[in-house]
Amino acid sequence: MAAAAQSGARLAMAWLLVVAAAFLIVRALPGDPAEILIHSNTVAASESLIAEYHAAWGLDRSLLRQFFSWLGSYLTGDWGQSMMTGRPILSEFVSRAPWSFAIGTGGLALATIGGFFLGFRAALRPAGIADHLSRALAVGSQSLPAFAVGLVMFWLLAVELKLVAPLSGSAGERLLMPVLLVALFSIGSAARVSRAAFGEARQALWMRTARAKGLSEAAALWRHAGRHSGLTLLAAVTPELAWVIGGTTVAEVVFGVPGLSEAVVDAVLGRDYMVLQAYIAFVALWILLINEAARTARLALDPRLA
Amino acid sequence: MRFLTRLASTIRYLALAAATAGALATAASADDAPTITVGQTFIAAGLDPAEGSAGWALVSHGVAEQLFTVSREGRVVPLLAEAASRDDDTNWTVTLRAGRLFSDGTPVNAESVAAALNRTGENNPAARATAGRLTFSALDDKTLKVATERPTPVLPAVLAEWAFPIYRETQDGMVFTGPYAVEHFEPGSRLDLVANAHYPDANARPNVIIRRIADGQSLALAFKAGEVDLAFHLPVETLPMFANDPDLAVKSFAVGYQYMMWINTQRPGLEDVRVRKAINLAINRDDLAKAARGGVPATGAYAEVYPFAAMGEIRSDMAAAEALLDEAGWMRGADGARAKDGVPLELVLWAYPQRPDLITFQPVIRAALEEIGISVTTQVSENPSDEARKGAFDLFLWAQHTAPSGDPGQYLGLFLESSGGNNHVGWSNAEFDAIVEKLGRVSEPAERNALAREAQAIIAKDAPVAFLLSPQWHVGLSKRVADYEPWGSDYYVIRDDLRVSEH
Repeated sequence: MAAAAQSGARLAMAWLLVVAAAFLIVRALPGDPAEILIHSNTVAASESLIAEYHAAWGLDRSLLRQFFSWLGSYLTGDWGQSMMTGRPILSEFVSRAPWSFAIGTGGLALATIGGFFLGFRAALRPAGIADHLSRALAVGSQSLPAFAVGLVMFWLLAVELKLVAPLSGSAGERLLMPVLLVALFSIGSAARVSRAAFGEARQALWMRTARAKGLSEAAALWRHAGRHSGLTLLAAVTPELAWVIGGTTVAEVVFGVPGLSEAVVDAVLGRDYMVLQAYIAFVALWILLINEAARTARLALDPRLA
Repeated sequence: MRFLTRLASTIRYLALAAATAGALATAASADDAPTITVGQTFIAAGLDPAEGSAGWALVSHGVAEQLFTVSREGRVVPLLAEAASRDDDTNWTVTLRAGRLFSDGTPVNAESVAAALNRTGENNPAARATAGRLTFSALDDKTLKVATERPTPVLPAVLAEWAFPIYRETQDGMVFTGPYAVEHFEPGSRLDLVANAHYPDANARPNVIIRRIADGQSLALAFKAGEVDLAFHLPVETLPMFANDPDLAVKSFAVGYQYMMWINTQRPGLEDVRVRKAINLAINRDDLAKAARGGVPATGAYAEVYPFAAMGEIRSDMAAAEALLDEAGWMRGADGARAKDGVPLELVLWAYPQRPDLITFQPVIRAALEEIGISVTTQVSENPSDEARKGAFDLFLWAQHTAPSGDPGQYLGLFLESSGGNNHVGWSNAEFDAIVEKLGRVSEPAERNALAREAQAIIAKDAPVAFLLSPQWHVGLSKRVADYEPWGSDYYVIRDDLRVSEH
């Protein structure tokens, strides 16, 4: 019980530090949201109009007052209104978050499953097609621009092959390409982790026993090293779960999905402090919770780590 | 007595049946109407015109209307209003057009208009930008009194600004008067519209789905894939994709967002009008149009569509530019670069990435200026307003809608009058200021147009800014909307003349 309380306090402190730092960083971004709004809306700008916007948004108060006022409201469920659109931020998050979660978790799940099998084939035949493919995917994900790859995917699947209708199709159809794009950029590294785990197992002495039973190399590896490699891969991708929200920006923008990240891009361009703060606080909490869950799981599996 | 009761009951049933039939007929017509899908890079964030810039988007989507609007010819014309007359410096009387209805069938009257616009004025600072707070009160059913906080000679133009759509608050949300009514709305993503049954020719209009596709390249691919019928607007580099497609067409149209280059009159070298004029003369607008792959060379501060646009071409003349620099004492050295008293003529040219064309112009303008011996380095800022306000620039490429409400006064006063809030170039010209002051008093359109042209002539003579190009935007059209004619920049995308094409 005491440990749980300690863990909770540590989480709360870490979250508070992150949101306080984010609050300052967001405020330090060059550009005044009032000026940007006025410029983009073709309104006659004047010092008094800028001051009116500042007063309406509470920017005329001290930073400390702004922070504590925002924090108090945020913690009580009042996330405020977007400076750019005037809409309530919380309801916007509620409607957009499912899209981002679906793309992020779907892409990661696909990459994990695909990477696991690809890694298995690569370990089974080093320097074979699967091995080359997994390496190419891993290198490609580091070197290719996701935006351009997304556009090529759009052109190929929707324009040329007409396999999907990314805008007018069902929710599943709308999610297909974004999920594929996220998976494409994660599958390579997952496959390399899986390959390394299977490869390590292949060299183990106990594999001789498995082979001696008369199993084929593939069957021996699959049956006796599958669980070990799967756990290794899971440990490797767990931290990635922390990024399922923030890592979907490109997919959302390219395929016109109304997710959280797409809205955040607009918020950055417009210096919408309220949206950015709410987003960072939300993502920070998510990342901390995922890391805490992973830490707890590791301790449960291996108490020696305590 | 019993007979009368039965008769009354029968009449009630008949009335109910007629109303039901009417409603069913309207629903059937909406259900039967074809649906057009429009892809845009922007969409309303909400349905409350008092919030953010929702008012602008709702007018653009064909949902809301204003008392006055800007016509295709760039003139301020009455829409829900019939006329406006000035009582004194800060008081106006506006009469409403008869017979106009909200989409729920209730009539547009002075009381509902006053309630809406007072609410907007209270909540949205943008509605107080030009003439301060406007206070509306209903004198009778069709007459409004409008009191402005600051004097304005052109209240119709103020009321044509995007911040002033007319609406009515109901328990189910806002209702508007435009040719379309909202059927379903996903904020920031999708808007389903049906023809407003209480707007003339409702049966002739298709239903519309507006989808937001934030990236222009993706919008082009969605158009190519047949996902949208009308793509507003396409990046110029995607146009070759549609060149040989018999089912898709692209229409280009000039927009009011003028491209210009501020010349900072407070910077060393540029305080001399001859140097500023030389810079203006060195730029070949046709080269800029080629670089942007579209656009019309600017004649002045306003796009050609406006009745107050300057006449005549701004010609490039390198020899004249060189002569002016010689006359100003900036002489070419052995390396061809100009200097005066040992100080080289070196300028920094700024642009911002939100308007990619401006970045494209940087090397073109640098090459032109280097040809006359001015060395130029380029800089990019993501915060143009901030950077310009600091005043630490020599030249600044800029895009600005110079007449968003169909009136020339705002731009001139804001950016170029000595005391203008956005006079970043530090230019001061008494003759020009006098014209702007006069524009603050004169309300007769013809006189205002003449004054605006006079002001542009002074700008041309003093060159605190070089007007470059009236850009063109490109709209993708499937065969279903082949007859659509784009105009009015992004202010009036969906209009009452939207039809499904016959062929």
